[in-house]
Amino acid sequence: MRLVLRNLGFYLLAFWASLTLNFLLPRFMPGDPVSRMFAQAQGSMRPDQIAQLQKLFGLDHRPLWEQYLGYVKSVFTGDLGISISRFPTPVSDVIGSQIGWTLLLGITALITAAVLGNLLGIVAAWRRGGFLDSAFPPLLVFVGSFPYFWLAMGALYLFGVTLGWFPLRHAYDVGLTPGLNGEFLSNVVSHLFLPALTIVLVSVGGWMLGMRNSMIATNAEDYITMAEAKGLSPSRIMFRYAARNAMLPSVTNFGMALGFMVGGALLTEVVFAYPGIGYQLLNAVQGLDYPLMQGIFLTITAAVLLANFIVDLVHVRLDPRVRVR
Amino acid sequence: MTSSRSARRSLTAAVAVAAAAALLLTGCSGNGAAGAAGDTSRDQLLTVPREDMGTFTRNFNPFSPKVGPMTKEAIYEPLMVHSPADGKDTPWLATKWEQAKDGRSITFTLRDGVKWSDGKPLTAADVVYTFGLQKKLLGGFDYLDKVTAPDAHTVTFAFNKPFSPSVYEIAGHFILPEHIWAKIKDPAKFTNPDPVGTGPYTKVEKFESQSFELRKNPSYWQPEKQHIAGLRLLAFSGNDSANLAFTNGEVDWTQSFVPDIEKSFVAKDKKHNHYWFPATGAMINWQLNTTKAPFDDPAVRKALSMAVDRDKITKVAMNGYANPADCTGLAGTYDSWRDASVVNSPSCDWTKHDVKAAAKALDAAGYKEKGGKRTLKNGKPFTLDISVGSASSDWISVANIIKQNLAEVGITANVKSPDWAAVQTTYDMGTFDSGIVWSGNGATPYEFYRGVMSTKVVQPVNKKATENYHRFGDKKADQLIDAFAAATDEKTQHAKADGLQKLFAEDAPVVPLFTGPEWGAYTDTRFTGWPTAQNPYATLSNRSVSTVLILTTLKPVRG
Repeated sequence: MRLVLRNLGFYLLAFWASLTLNFLLPRFMPGDPVSRMFAQAQGSMRPDQIAQLQKLFGLDHRPLWEQYLGYVKSVFTGDLGISISRFPTPVSDVIGSQIGWTLLLGITALITAAVLGNLLGIVAAWRRGGFLDSAFPPLLVFVGSFPYFWLAMGALYLFGVTLGWFPLRHAYDVGLTPGLNGEFLSNVVSHLFLPALTIVLVSVGGWMLGMRNSMIATNAEDYITMAEAKGLSPSRIMFRYAARNAMLPSVTNFGMALGFMVGGALLTEVVFAYPGIGYQLLNAVQGLDYPLMQGIFLTITAAVLLANFIVDLVHVRLDPRVRVR
Repeated sequence: MTSSRSARRSLTAAVAVAAAAALLLTGCSGNGAAGAAGDTSRDQLLTVPREDMGTFTRNFNPFSPKVGPMTKEAIYEPLMVHSPADGKDTPWLATKWEQAKDGRSITFTLRDGVKWSDGKPLTAADVVYTFGLQKKLLGGFDYLDKVTAPDAHTVTFAFNKPFSPSVYEIAGHFILPEHIWAKIKDPAKFTNPDPVGTGPYTKVEKFESQSFELRKNPSYWQPEKQHIAGLRLLAFSGNDSANLAFTNGEVDWTQSFVPDIEKSFVAKDKKHNHYWFPATGAMINWQLNTTKAPFDDPAVRKALSMAVDRDKITKVAMNGYANPADCTGLAGTYDSWRDASVVNSPSCDWTKHDVKAAAKALDAAGYKEKGGKRTLKNGKPFTLDISVGSASSDWISVANIIKQNLAEVGITANVKSPDWAAVQTTYDMGTFDSGIVWSGNGATPYEFYRGVMSTKVVQPVNKKATENYHRFGDKKADQLIDAFAAATDEKTQHAKADGLQKLFAEDAPVVPLFTGPEWGAYTDTRFTGWPTAQNPYATLSNRSVSTVLILTTLKPVRG
């Protein structure tokens, strides 16, 4: 318990540090939101509209420290302000309307890739030199080293345009009303398939290799030989003795990936026109939309810290050595 | 113990099986590309993509800079519609307008029988209210003194100085219903989820973050023109995905840039797939920072201009979709203003590609060549930077062609393309060497010349400028510009515009390159009546003031 409390203190400190960076970094970027908007409009906005927009947005001209205090206060009261690039929609609405899709896509792809990769890794290491071990790692590394954009475009053209198996865009068909019915859910799944598949394809190799390597190290341990000598069934040794111990780095990676997933999958969203946080973040950065940027960074930071905290807890459960220290 | 272990093992196996099964099952249920393709039931929706909005937020407040699509096109309407394609003014909510002889006021007569979508009539009070709100929320309209409504059908705008370009600004402004907006506490932060407007399609339906529909306004003032059942807007997070939907025939009308459009789109269905890129965009200039030597010398600016191969730029960098500029600097929209005597005079040669003449002019100005490299007067090599934002790949190609052109006359150019934010800051503060920049694009050449030549918009270096980044001003231009604004008849305006063209040809405040095209492509399998080069009643833009003309012209194809 003391360990958990000490960790909690550390996490609070990290949260404050990232909160502060979050506030400072966007403000070091050159330009201001209104001139960005003006530059993006490239002549379709009149110069006097710059002053008009500054007036409309009510941009903050207070000294930096006052802005900082206001920012910290608003973070804890849950008021993330109003997005500039989507004025006058509140930041919490912009994030709230997207994060569900980001989580759906991210979690589906992450769990599929991690489960599949780990299973492959376990089996490959167990049967070293077998077919799985010699064929899969090079193949998956090969696929994973394709530029993601290219792979996604290729998959979209092949399975979406040419073969017509999957829808080309969006999270569900136009004109469909979201609801908890079979039609809508199966539609969502069919739209989710290709984007998730491409992410799984590029990431599963990493999971497999990581698991395979740590599994090989574990297989050389004495207690495996001991277990074999006891005459335990191979599958029991594989999963309960070797894999459980070899799994620890994978659990850490899984936690990290879970946190970063909240940042969205920008390229996936662009290629498949899938809704999500990634594109919002890109837009916010390009438009110097400080409130939206801060809101998204804050969400990511909180998610990463939370995921790490959970991984710490899981480690305590999985690995008795952590408890002793 | 044993049972729990085997339970866990079978759980692991079950997860793996379930994952594999899910992958297989979903593979089967993919139902391919369902869309509007081929729907000619007469109730088909006009499907329009927004390639610049990854998702929609339900915001129909027309004061918002990133308002929901079609708000100012289909929901709210202006007093008059000016089409940049044919230069015509179509009376809209106002039937006529009259400028006072002294140019200090303008009076609009409102159309009879116009109703808001909630059935209440449009009155002069709505117009007065709209402009009051505009000034309160956004400001601007500095010349506007007072807006009054002598009766329910007449609105008078009084100015504090004679100002004729006001017609387009005032008449092109959207009009809001007072009875709705006056009740809103903070109109600047009002998202207006269920808008009440006078436009043809005002009813928001099936609003989702990736699509929504706009259905007919039941009390529209020209119901005979509501041929189409409604609009459907689709969100896309980039050109690629939007173009895919377009070339696949799932949307009717796009404004995003389609590379190699003849092959990727027209060739698929020559009979129905069309595009039209009229040169109605703003003049794109190569601007040289006139606060820096040697760019303060008009002879140097003209010599550099002569070195530039505009034909190559428009053909290669702009895919042949842009028109090269001449020495008046006027974009294609202003052809009726162009003064032939200026264009045909020898003083106009500085926008024609001539490497020898460019070299000679540079020699004469005192920038001698030695071993293929030119030097400045202080003996340093003649080099310059061309700054363009990294997102504008076409303009980066333009800059690279200029770089090659300059090498031919012994000048070394470096193309710098960081993010637009960084480029924009150097423009704003006047610290750049040169850059590829847009220009003002109003209904008359007034905006353009004021933006590039007026001393009133020149800021000193290190003070933020919002236009005239090249920081050039000419007192003679000021007089002509003011006289243009004060003139109430076209004849005087034309005389002043001629004077400005002559002055532009003399001063070369910027190096004009080409008129940007207005992208637009459509398929007429589901709707007909699109504007074309033969019938240019509007541009193919789906987000400008002339868009409403298209919405009220298109007819559904009956299958």
